[in-house]
Amino acid sequence: MEELFDVIVIGGGVVGCAIARELSRYKLRIGVLEKNPDVGYETSARNTGVCHGGFAYDPGTLKARMCVEGNKEMGRLSEELDFKFRRCGKVLVGNTEEERARLLEVIRQGEMNGASGLRMIEKEELHRLVPSVLGEFALLSENSGIIDPFMMTIALAENAVHNGAEFFLQREVEAIRRDEEGNWVITARTWPFGGKVSHAERESGEQASVKAEASGGRNPVSGDQESAGQAPGTVREEFRTRWVVNSAGLSCGKISDMLGIKGYKIIYSKDDYIILDNRLGSMVPMPIYTVPSNTYMGIHVTVTTDGNVLLGPTAEDIDKPSGYGVEQKNIDYLYDAAMAIWPHVKRGDYIRTYCGILPKWVDEKGVIQDFKIEIRDDIAPRAVNLVGMESPALTGAPAIARYVVGMMLEREEFPENADFDPVRKGIPKFSELPEEEQERLIAMDADFGELVCRCQKVTKAEILAAIRNPLGAQTMVAVKYRTRAMMGRCQGGYCQMRIAEMLEQETGARPEEITYARQGSNIFYGKVREA
Amino acid sequence: MKREFTCIVCPNGCEIEAEYEMKNDAVELVNVSGNLCKRGAEYVRQELVNPERTIASSVLVSGGELPLCSVRLNRPVPKGKIFDVMKEIKELKLSAPVSAGTVLIHDVLGLGSDVVVTKSVEKAL
Amino acid sequence: MEIKQLDVLVVGGGPAGLAAAVELYRKGIKDILVVEREKHLGGILRQCIHDGFGLTRFGSTMSGPEYAERFIHEAREMGIPCIVNAAVTEITNDKVVTVVTRDGIRKYQAKAVVLAMGCRERTRGALAIPGERPAGVFTAGVAQAYMNLYNRMPAKEVVILGSGDIGMIMARRLTLEGAHVKAVFEIQPYPSGLPRNIEQCLKDYGIPLYLSRTVTNVHGDVRLQGVTVSEVDEHMRPIPGTEKYYECDTLILSVGLIPENELSIDAGVQLDGRTRGARVNEFFETNVPGIFSAGNVLHVHDLVDFVSLEAESLADAAAEYVQEGRLPACPIEIVYDKNVNHTVPMAVSGTRPFRISMRVNRPMKDVRVVLRQDGREVASKKMKKAIPAEMIQFTVDAEKLEGSGKLEVSVE
Repeated sequence: MEELFDVIVIGGGVVGCAIARELSRYKLRIGVLEKNPDVGYETSARNTGVCHGGFAYDPGTLKARMCVEGNKEMGRLSEELDFKFRRCGKVLVGNTEEERARLLEVIRQGEMNGASGLRMIEKEELHRLVPSVLGEFALLSENSGIIDPFMMTIALAENAVHNGAEFFLQREVEAIRRDEEGNWVITARTWPFGGKVSHAERESGEQASVKAEASGGRNPVSGDQESAGQAPGTVREEFRTRWVVNSAGLSCGKISDMLGIKGYKIIYSKDDYIILDNRLGSMVPMPIYTVPSNTYMGIHVTVTTDGNVLLGPTAEDIDKPSGYGVEQKNIDYLYDAAMAIWPHVKRGDYIRTYCGILPKWVDEKGVIQDFKIEIRDDIAPRAVNLVGMESPALTGAPAIARYVVGMMLEREEFPENADFDPVRKGIPKFSELPEEEQERLIAMDADFGELVCRCQKVTKAEILAAIRNPLGAQTMVAVKYRTRAMMGRCQGGYCQMRIAEMLEQETGARPEEITYARQGSNIFYGKVREA
Repeated sequence: MKREFTCIVCPNGCEIEAEYEMKNDAVELVNVSGNLCKRGAEYVRQELVNPERTIASSVLVSGGELPLCSVRLNRPVPKGKIFDVMKEIKELKLSAPVSAGTVLIHDVLGLGSDVVVTKSVEKAL
Repeated sequence: MEIKQLDVLVVGGGPAGLAAAVELYRKGIKDILVVEREKHLGGILRQCIHDGFGLTRFGSTMSGPEYAERFIHEAREMGIPCIVNAAVTEITNDKVVTVVTRDGIRKYQAKAVVLAMGCRERTRGALAIPGERPAGVFTAGVAQAYMNLYNRMPAKEVVILGSGDIGMIMARRLTLEGAHVKAVFEIQPYPSGLPRNIEQCLKDYGIPLYLSRTVTNVHGDVRLQGVTVSEVDEHMRPIPGTEKYYECDTLILSVGLIPENELSIDAGVQLDGRTRGARVNEFFETNVPGIFSAGNVLHVHDLVDFVSLEAESLADAAAEYVQEGRLPACPIEIVYDKNVNHTVPMAVSGTRPFRISMRVNRPMKDVRVVLRQDGREVASKKMKKAIPAEMIQFTVDAEKLEGSGKLEVSVE
């Protein structure tokens, strides 16, 4: 009954999802374990979404190489997978002669890395390209761009599922061991939702489904349900696999230790941001950066693919990831720092603040190291260990995935998946379509004619499609990331009630089971009047 | 005796200063000032004898286009009885259709006030 | 696509839109259409199940749904066409209105458009309250909708930030349903809601109201666990060392309402910096000829009665606009002194009597509101108290005006 996985990827961030998708080009049984209730919940979604040019990293590093390669293929990937990407360019603005010299150095470094489209521009051209900026001159990186990081991660995951990979959400890895045959045995805990344990796999048709029962390859660990101190309903499962990939992002050190590859020192960089209204998007045609030092890219004013302006990041080193709170002093700092290069920040345009955390591998002296991507045949055979996957891992994800699979192929031959289909179609964005197309959609499905989120103009059909997503993610935030509903200026003031109601109806969950985001973020204490 | 009141009869929210004497259980208002209308004086008298409030709440509706209908009291009840009245309202269960104006409880707890539906709920389609 | 001709299209079927439609009909403008995005008419009143509406407009007090029903009933009796579950997605400056419905996209060319979209709540993000982002932080209106429309209980241990009326009304509502409301905190040195609500929603239930305090941190990585509250100085900045922790699972925000003018902006309507609603003249006409605005989308009202009354005045002017093709010019600008937060309208014609709605920006006692033209007093109103929570209204006799000199409102 129990069936062995060929590969288990630990971590459903952008890198893990890219690896799963790259692996799905081969005939393999692939599983992805993600501790959060959706993919892309941590570092992958909490960043600026900038597609980097590759000039900011030391020549010869994996960071430089992955970034330049990833950047080059981002256009094609975004078309295949239907996520938003715009090669809008980016400017690094400067004012002093020292800064000019530093920028010229950055251009040289970029060219050594193989980045192209880098040049100095003077005040006139700078202000023609970005009229709202303050600055005397700038480095223009024509090939930089902006990505929708949520949708890039989701699209990679959905395409992996479409090509046969399985996703297991809310699976937190607790232990890893090797059995007598040399296979990896991974113990993970999970929490049922709506009476079901999440498991997304491709069915015969296009749609994947979420299955209730434990199926092949993983065993509920008997006698261990609801052990002391656990949240009620906790279930443990074991996944048996030949290969394992540590793509655990913030938990990379922990998983590396579990694999027996000990000793990596990880520090964390906490980045706070302020999001501004998307009416301002046209004022920031491309990301605006200051002149970087060796270790800090500086505060930027960037724009998302949906036109929201972002101010950030703060970049504070912290010892361990400790929640996503944003302090008042950082909110004030971001305002002041952003005003120095883009003097158009108004508090009335604040939509919200957010924060992301990057894992950084450091040496004993605390110096930040390159990406570490390794297979330790001596102590952990058939385990790919990815450590310190911070920026530019979003840009580099497709290249990193190919690099990882390449390392595996050096050790083992994988049969090709002749049915591999690189194309994934996202949920139609009603508000962005021409009127004739909107008419056609409504005629096909009247739910496209019912606007649920007024700020972002998201229709009922889109919300339903998001709830029925192929990964089986069933939180309010899963809907938010997939549709942009609740992301606007009213922050769900108008639509969240309806979305919560639809989520209950679609999943069969009780009100008190509905969560905003992670396990424990329940929204309701039941009903006002019980039947 | 003197006491200050914020009148809740209308949105003006007059700040009323009242001078009064208690004779047995009856209140004798000596002087009332600050009120823009005479309902202010009545309010003060009532507050001194036995403060009354009206409340609004919801009642469960099954088979309706909405899960609840709203209700209110058609006249105020003694403040101390509010939670007792809430208990009565919480017990109610209706089936759609429900129409506004329907009296659900006559003379709730013998307090002389009715629980009345304030929002119609049609049957679910 | 076929474009249907109309006399007046009303955007929003709440208390403003319905009152305008009914009044337009009475004035003989019958070729109208009310477009409502919800499945039911009535707007926000549907979730305002508490008592206290209608005393001014109807002479008796009732709940929100009953107040709305009065207008819905009238509109039905008159046979005024209303489409529900229909979203206006665009209004052009020549008054072509695009509506998305389940039956397809409709377009209308209206002679006049009435903006009656109401307002939305200011959110945590807009205030930039620091701290984590757990579940359990709701605006008062969202909590109200969950409880009163969706039968969902969002709270057990509650702290409320902001003493707006909806927040206080929710304090009572939550208490009646078994939640425990620990306190209401207000950043200003005075309450922002009406005195009667402090009395009957907070004092009656022993809920303390603390002034000059705000939430300075939010704790809890999944569901809210508590908030830090600090005292603030006269510039509303938190005073270090005054932090106090309150354990709670829910933070309700009642920190202000913002007119919902996204459609208006796209139509080219100019907004006022103070009200965040359209700049209108005494006819409630915006800078775009034939586009009118009233109710909470124009400026946030204290009472729904005034919303309906304002919309009815708008309808009288819009009817005249449709029938005559134009309205008198309004060259007389209205300005105000430092005690006044805003006025509506912002300009008048000087040819007929008009009404000024305004708010003061701090509580004052024994004041006179005075309207002057070229230093000459043309109207005044004595008040025992003037508070920011209350809208002040007074009518002005146009015969007292001379020429087109500016009018200045002052509170002294």
